Amino acid sequence: MDNLYIAATATSPEVDFRFDQHSLLLRGESYPENAAAFYAPIIEQLRQYLAESAGAVTTVDVVLTYFNSSSTKMLFSVFDALDEAAQSGSRVLMNWYRDEEDETIFEFGEELKADFHAIEFTDRPVAHQGQ
Amino acid sequence: MSPLLDQDSAFFDLAQRRNVLFYHKGYFSHNIVAAMGEVVKLQLEIAGVSGPTRRKLFSSFVELSQNIVHYSSDSLQPGNDGGGSIREGAVCITTDGERHLMMCVNPIAAEDVDGLRNKLEPLRSMSVEEIKQAYKITLRADTPEESKGAGLGFLTMARDASAPLEFAFHPRADEPGTTLFCLKAII
Repeated sequence: MDNLYIAATATSPEVDFRFDQHSLLLRGESYPENAAAFYAPIIEQLRQYLAESAGAVTTVDVVLTYFNSSSTKMLFSVFDALDEAAQSGSRVLMNWYRDEEDETIFEFGEELKADFHAIEFTDRPVAHQGQ
Repeated sequence: MSPLLDQDSAFFDLAQRRNVLFYHKGYFSHNIVAAMGEVVKLQLEIAGVSGPTRRKLFSSFVELSQNIVHYSSDSLQPGNDGGGSIREGAVCITTDGERHLMMCVNPIAAEDVDGLRNKLEPLRSMSVEEIKQAYKITLRADTPEESKGAGLGFLTMARDASAPLEFAFHPRADEPGTTLFCLKAII
């Protein structure tokens, strides 16, 4: 299947899903006007990729600096799809990048770890880049 | 000084005395919120607000502003056929010593008052731990049908605030079907 690339905007993240390399990236800020409309097609393609790639080792880099409440809900669905694939024999290696000072994103990462045991989750705090 | 300048100066003096970091009254669309978001980020940075507090203020600003875009009863495009929503309201951020106050006001249909009150009132008596617990449950629950924001918006604000959210409803004498909804978060 084709790779999926969506450029970042001020309110939506860069989506760089290189399905041919089993490498998925979400990067930026996420507070689109309609989070469900933004994420639904992404989740659909992700699910299709996961269904076609049983047994693969997929790396997921998440570098989100802010997500609003409705994006949070949709991200949970993204990770749910990844966890289901990991439960059925694929490996999902997730790198969770966050500012080391950002408690909110750290805590959301903890939520993901608590719910999605099959994802191999690595917290990646990034040192603060001055003011 | 002319009377006109006197009036202007009173407005700016008051804004300065109240340490207004940001104020907007008028229409809110998604693009307007995005542009205001840039202004708010810059103002908070210049004002020397710490990173964690800046993030909480920005988060509350986005939730409040998107509430106005989605739920204010005063819509610029009554039909809303295809285009994004544009609705009316006001948002204000002020500094009071170490605390920051974020306030918003927008008109809502009078019939929606009870529903909003029922969502907000229980949050006021919850501890931070209880709010985080409710947040976790809501995150995993199905999205309510009438909600565009997954029902997480107020919980997100309550979580980021350092005191219970304050709210009030002011019925409008000139428009009996409309009530002004005011929400204040202290961060």
